[in-house]
Amino acid sequence: MSDISKKIEEMESALSTADHCLSCTSCMSSCPVMEAEKSYRGPKLVGPAHSRMHFSQDDFEDSLDFCSNCKSCDRACPSGVAVSTLNMLQRAKYYETHEHSQRDDMLAHGERMAKLVRALPFGATFANLGMSIGKSLGVFSAMGIAGERSMPAYASASFMQLFKGIKQPKSDKKVVFFPGCFINDNEPQVGVAFVKVMNANGYEVLVDEKFNCCGSPLVVTGYLDEAHEHADNNVSRILEWKKKGIPVVACCTSCSLMLKQEYHELFNEEKMHEAGENVYDAFEFLEILADKGQLNTNFKQVGEKLMYHVPCHLKSQGFGVPAAKILAQVPGVTVEQADAGCCGMSGNYGFKGDKYEISMKIGEKLFNRIKESASDEVICDCGTCRLQIQHGTQAKTCHPVEILAKAYGK
Amino acid sequence: MKHADTLVIGSGFAGLMAALVSANQRKKVTLLTCGSGSLSLNSGVIDVLGYDEQHNYVECPKEAIKSLPAEHPYSKIGMETVEKAVNFFLDFTRDYGFPYRGSLDHQLLVPTAVGTMKPTCLAPHCLDGTSLHGEEHIVIVGIKGLKDFYGNILQDNLQQSLNGQTKFPVVEVETPLLGGRDITTIDVARWLDTQEGRDSFASQLRPYVQSDNTVFLVPQVLGTKGQECAAYIHEKLGAEVLETTCLPPSVNGLRLQKMLKQALKDMNVEIVENTKVLRAVSDGKKVTGVVAEASIREKTYYADKFILATGGLYSGGITVREFEHPQEMIFDLPVYIESGEENWSNAELFSAKPQGFAKTGVRTDTSLRPVDANNELVYENVYVVGSNLGGYDFCFEHSGNGVALASAYKAALM
Repeated sequence: MSDISKKIEEMESALSTADHCLSCTSCMSSCPVMEAEKSYRGPKLVGPAHSRMHFSQDDFEDSLDFCSNCKSCDRACPSGVAVSTLNMLQRAKYYETHEHSQRDDMLAHGERMAKLVRALPFGATFANLGMSIGKSLGVFSAMGIAGERSMPAYASASFMQLFKGIKQPKSDKKVVFFPGCFINDNEPQVGVAFVKVMNANGYEVLVDEKFNCCGSPLVVTGYLDEAHEHADNNVSRILEWKKKGIPVVACCTSCSLMLKQEYHELFNEEKMHEAGENVYDAFEFLEILADKGQLNTNFKQVGEKLMYHVPCHLKSQGFGVPAAKILAQVPGVTVEQADAGCCGMSGNYGFKGDKYEISMKIGEKLFNRIKESASDEVICDCGTCRLQIQHGTQAKTCHPVEILAKAYGK
Repeated sequence: MKHADTLVIGSGFAGLMAALVSANQRKKVTLLTCGSGSLSLNSGVIDVLGYDEQHNYVECPKEAIKSLPAEHPYSKIGMETVEKAVNFFLDFTRDYGFPYRGSLDHQLLVPTAVGTMKPTCLAPHCLDGTSLHGEEHIVIVGIKGLKDFYGNILQDNLQQSLNGQTKFPVVEVETPLLGGRDITTIDVARWLDTQEGRDSFASQLRPYVQSDNTVFLVPQVLGTKGQECAAYIHEKLGAEVLETTCLPPSVNGLRLQKMLKQALKDMNVEIVENTKVLRAVSDGKKVTGVVAEASIREKTYYADKFILATGGLYSGGITVREFEHPQEMIFDLPVYIESGEENWSNAELFSAKPQGFAKTGVRTDTSLRPVDANNELVYENVYVVGSNLGGYDFCFEHSGNGVALASAYKAALM
């Protein structure tokens, strides 16, 4: 291969992909925010075009604020442009010279808040009480947070606390679980189910107290330097585990996408790519076991009709939908994919007061699909998608790994 | 280990059709996609053959196909299969509620956004302008704020194309879409998906209905789903409403894409999004799997049969980074290319002579399996469809979706 061909093939960092954009409009046809909001000028103009044409310091595209980083544009792009990441880089650039709001500070730093709460006796109870009082007094609305939503409640014990009480069989086969903020603080039962599933497959699960939040809420809110610090820390931890031959597995698809791919796209450091190679999404990992004939398929009957909302950040990982295939093998389980586009939540996007309506409009197709179906439960790998589904439909939701844990009789 | 009986690579029209016909043969099908495919960029009408090698207008595609050179994909596919493919497509679109019309015996004429009448073979009712003769009361409808539609150019050229005696009036419809970004055809189509949108559109056009032969000519905006919007407005106005082809995003291409994807879902085709196939795993002349790039790591998909639908030069399925060294990116198949740099292009872009580079592509046997320069079979279970095929210039002869349809149909049956 000549130098020029090599150069073209190897343009990997997000910034250099902007030059691959042909302005074909594929991203515009797929963007759920454009469909819901006429002021958003769309991924093509904001991401690649503005990235290339942004010459002066105060030349910012206002409508960039509408991008939810759902990554539908990246998936639609025939030329491999990292459109959404270009948007996030520009957002970060904007906040180099502009102040963040108090709301953004709060939405980006859920991990900091949770640590405070956990440090206090009965912290979770008081924090939940505080949030419902705050909500009824309109404190959150005044801050610019969607008053229509409840903030996700803290679980009485975090996953890390619960983990200490789990008795696991020892094994030479080990994985490190990356719980992420939402599973750790709000839905620890997902992490517990993961441990049971891995145990049923002969794996012992480890945790690493030194992990930070993956940084996804920071990136989408424009705190890129802080996200970089998180990346440095997490990457060095992942590389330590890699040296020991122990993979890191996440159940939250936004965490896994960030650790596997987005660090490298955003910061373009080789170590991030190396670390990413040691990270798996939970069902990606389980499917690899299945392909090797090592998945425990000794499933018990679970009578459930499931509707599966596949999160955008799972679709972006390009390995298909392994949970649907694995759960379909469980006797009594049927899995139907909702196939109704983005749910509209996109992490902390739907929590913003001025984005609430857009978020709900995007989710409408999915809500209707779920309401019209006769499913017992909606499964989804992403925690904030699950919140959106509960909010938009009142349906019962869970992570697919919880169904699998049931199938193992745990 | 095996993922599928048939693995299709690419989700343009050819790839989606190949997956559909394969699934219809009761095969277990996996479709690997990278990007959303070409349908949002193409009008979604099926040109089979509009012009022959000398750029003469083709009246009857069925006859003209018979005199194509041996290396043309249609010659390899064979007339009988082309006919079956057309019938399959017509049946499919009817069954899914967005019927196409047309046949191989004569052309339909589709009005373009610049006022020419483009020959095509199959089109939905809303794009079929064959019956226009210039005597109708044609009203050209622009949308306020839709910059990609030029009513005045359309007006002049259409009058010429149809030998109209009088100037066709141009009117403009208002929408509630202004006040944000520049609007696109999809924005308007989504508005026309709503009841208020349809009623407002119809009531704004009603004053221009004259006599019983009024025809409204609109950009591609009549709803994002099938024909229901066009039928509703037609009924409300008692007048014909026709669309033109226009700049992307193409609403009609998206309608066709939506319908095809629904059918694939109904037939349990597994679609893997956002994965670029990098290379093949083979055992002699048999391909056993393909390796695709997922986020950070590769994943291998095993199957009995592989259909290559990654597109040609425009979509990177074939690249020519250095003259004389074209490359098919997955199987590294031998690629036919016009030799001599000077024969590559014709500087007169809109002349009646073809472009040398345009015929670049993979050469195949009559089963659509790849062959080398000596006509030796390269792989026995790989089939090549759509713009991956060499030996034809879809742009010059107006045959893009026709070759895609017929080759996909044939490859799926082999």
